[in-house]
Amino acid sequence: MTDRNRLIAYGVVAFAVLVVLANTVFVVGQREQALVLRFGQPVGSINAPGASQSGLQLKIPFFEHVIKFDRRILSLEAQQEEVIAADQARLVVDAFVRYRIVDPLAFYRALRTQQIAQDRLERLVTSSLREVLGAAPSDDIVSRRRGQLMLLTQRDMDRRAREARYGLQIVDVRIRRADLPQANREAVYQRMRTSRQQQAAQVRGLGEQRNREITAQANRDVTILIAGAQADAGRIQGEGDARRAQIFAESFGQDPEFAAFWRTMQAYDSALGQGGAGATLVLSPDSSVLRYLRDGPGGR
Amino acid sequence: MPWNDKSNPGPWGTPPAGGSGDGGGRDDDGPDDGGKGKNDGGSPWSRPPAPRSPRDREPRGAGGGGPGFKGPDFDELTRDLRGRLNRFFRGPTGSGRIRTEAVAAVATAVAVLWLLTGVFIVQPNEQGVVTRFGAYAGTALPGLQYRLPWPLESVQKVPVTSVQRSDIGGQGATNANDSLMLTGDENIVDLDFTVQWRVNNAALYLFALDDPQQTVRAVAESAMREVVGRTALDPIISTGRGRVQDQSATLMQRVLDAYGSGIQIVEVQIRNAGPPAEVVPAFREVASAGQEAESRINEAIAYRNRVVAEAAGDAAQRRRAAEGYREQAVREAEGAAARFNQIYVQYRQAPEVTRRRLYLETMERVLRESRTVVVDSDGTNAPIILPPTAVAPPAAAPSPQTSVGPSR
Repeated sequence: MTDRNRLIAYGVVAFAVLVVLANTVFVVGQREQALVLRFGQPVGSINAPGASQSGLQLKIPFFEHVIKFDRRILSLEAQQEEVIAADQARLVVDAFVRYRIVDPLAFYRALRTQQIAQDRLERLVTSSLREVLGAAPSDDIVSRRRGQLMLLTQRDMDRRAREARYGLQIVDVRIRRADLPQANREAVYQRMRTSRQQQAAQVRGLGEQRNREITAQANRDVTILIAGAQADAGRIQGEGDARRAQIFAESFGQDPEFAAFWRTMQAYDSALGQGGAGATLVLSPDSSVLRYLRDGPGGR
Repeated sequence: MPWNDKSNPGPWGTPPAGGSGDGGGRDDDGPDDGGKGKNDGGSPWSRPPAPRSPRDREPRGAGGGGPGFKGPDFDELTRDLRGRLNRFFRGPTGSGRIRTEAVAAVATAVAVLWLLTGVFIVQPNEQGVVTRFGAYAGTALPGLQYRLPWPLESVQKVPVTSVQRSDIGGQGATNANDSLMLTGDENIVDLDFTVQWRVNNAALYLFALDDPQQTVRAVAESAMREVVGRTALDPIISTGRGRVQDQSATLMQRVLDAYGSGIQIVEVQIRNAGPPAEVVPAFREVASAGQEAESRINEAIAYRNRVVAEAAGDAAQRRRAAEGYREQAVREAEGAAARFNQIYVQYRQAPEVTRRRLYLETMERVLRESRTVVVDSDGTNAPIILPPTAVAPPAAAPSPQTSVGPSR
């Protein structure tokens, strides 16, 4: 008895207290939210988004138990979907959804597990995307109104999730990519190629054009340069000729008759004498050079 | 997690895992259980210096093992330990009652040790997020910090200053099409980029998102595709890169802020942006066409430079030649005029004589240089036939004087 038995009694009591405590106290982490079930019936949620109740919490031991859900923003990668836009163009759309459990009670009733929620949401995002994107032309989807369409999809999904009482909030729907299907892609490549070839031809043509322009301009410049030089040369030569004429006029003007004689003599000299060496002259004895030859010393 | 500060132990070191693993520590001598484990466990614990921790201060020196501890003589060791424990708890007399002071001492030591496990160090590049029973209780800044020990509080350290990279597209891509994006002018661009980001709020980073890394990637890809989707191809692959980077970074930041992610985008960097491989030859052709055009233009410029310079030379040559002609004409005229003037002065003094003399001298020179046939034409009506020698040029005619004169 005594010591040993008392020790055992203490131990039993302590153990019982521990067991009860462990069933009463539970921890809800910052990342978690919890649902308290009494005999399987949900009776209250703890630390749902908006409430700040994480930490140590109490429940009725043995009668109640707790299910925990993620409180963070969760991600869902939607499967790649081919969507037909309003202008009948096909687009391969790849989207992701960010959502969170905002009402654990509703979530537990409607979906129970995150796995089921993912399945439902995947169907939901597919139909929302088809509906929203199907009403928009493809270039709106690709470029101009992408942000707006993503917002529309998010609102549509959020509304539907709320109507279905999933207890989920759709935080964001983002189109990761909206691309053309493989078949159309080849057509785009073809167009890109031809467009580049066209560009290349234009570039080459422009080069050739510049080439010819420059060549023509150069030829023109050359012609003008030469013509200008010829004009100058003519003027300069004219100056020379004029000056020469003036000099001769001044000089020969003193006695035109003698000048003519003198000049004639020089012309004979150069044309028939030294200049025209070897010319054959046929003279008549009547010519004045040969006057003495014919008439003798008394010739007159 | 409860012991996650093991990597940064407090100044007292960390009790070995056995301390809690032995679990039954209800009878106050938790650390002692470690000692018992040593007896039974054998070799892994048989290194005496290892447990030389605060336990060594306990008067019983249970962990010390004694200086004579050499071989694996477990029987001896067990007996020795039992003796020591007995002496410690029941007193040297072995009176059979457990001494309360001894129990209190052990309990205090355990409590102090437990409290000390709350000390932790936050490295300069980190923030420590402290949670109390899972609830956020504060953020610890770099330095030596204290929290209540496990299981009351725990700490998670998040590197906040170091920049993390997420590469999207390129070599690491899971799918070759990952980097193909549709541009605003409905072309396709092949674009790889890197996002650099860091945590700027450790608590948000830990608590807001399910999978922050994956979220950054997804958001980055979505934002980049959105921006590329409203930009034309040519700016993306040439001058507009910076703008695409900035716009997508802004968009990413906005989305991540909307998630309350505690993530800051530091930089978005387009590593490579070009046409898809299928159309690269066409793009190359444009580049080479540009080169060709450039070279055609250069050829033309070279031609122009050569021809115009030549023409300028020609023009100058013509002008100089004309100037030469002018000077020559004037000089010759001056010379001839001067000669005439001289003669004329003489002529005026004796006109008739001079005139005749000039005439005769000229005739003399003319007749000397030429073949002369004198024909008395009186009474001859028939044509005169000259012998060929009369008209043939002289065999050795003196070379004609070249006269450089104006040809006109």
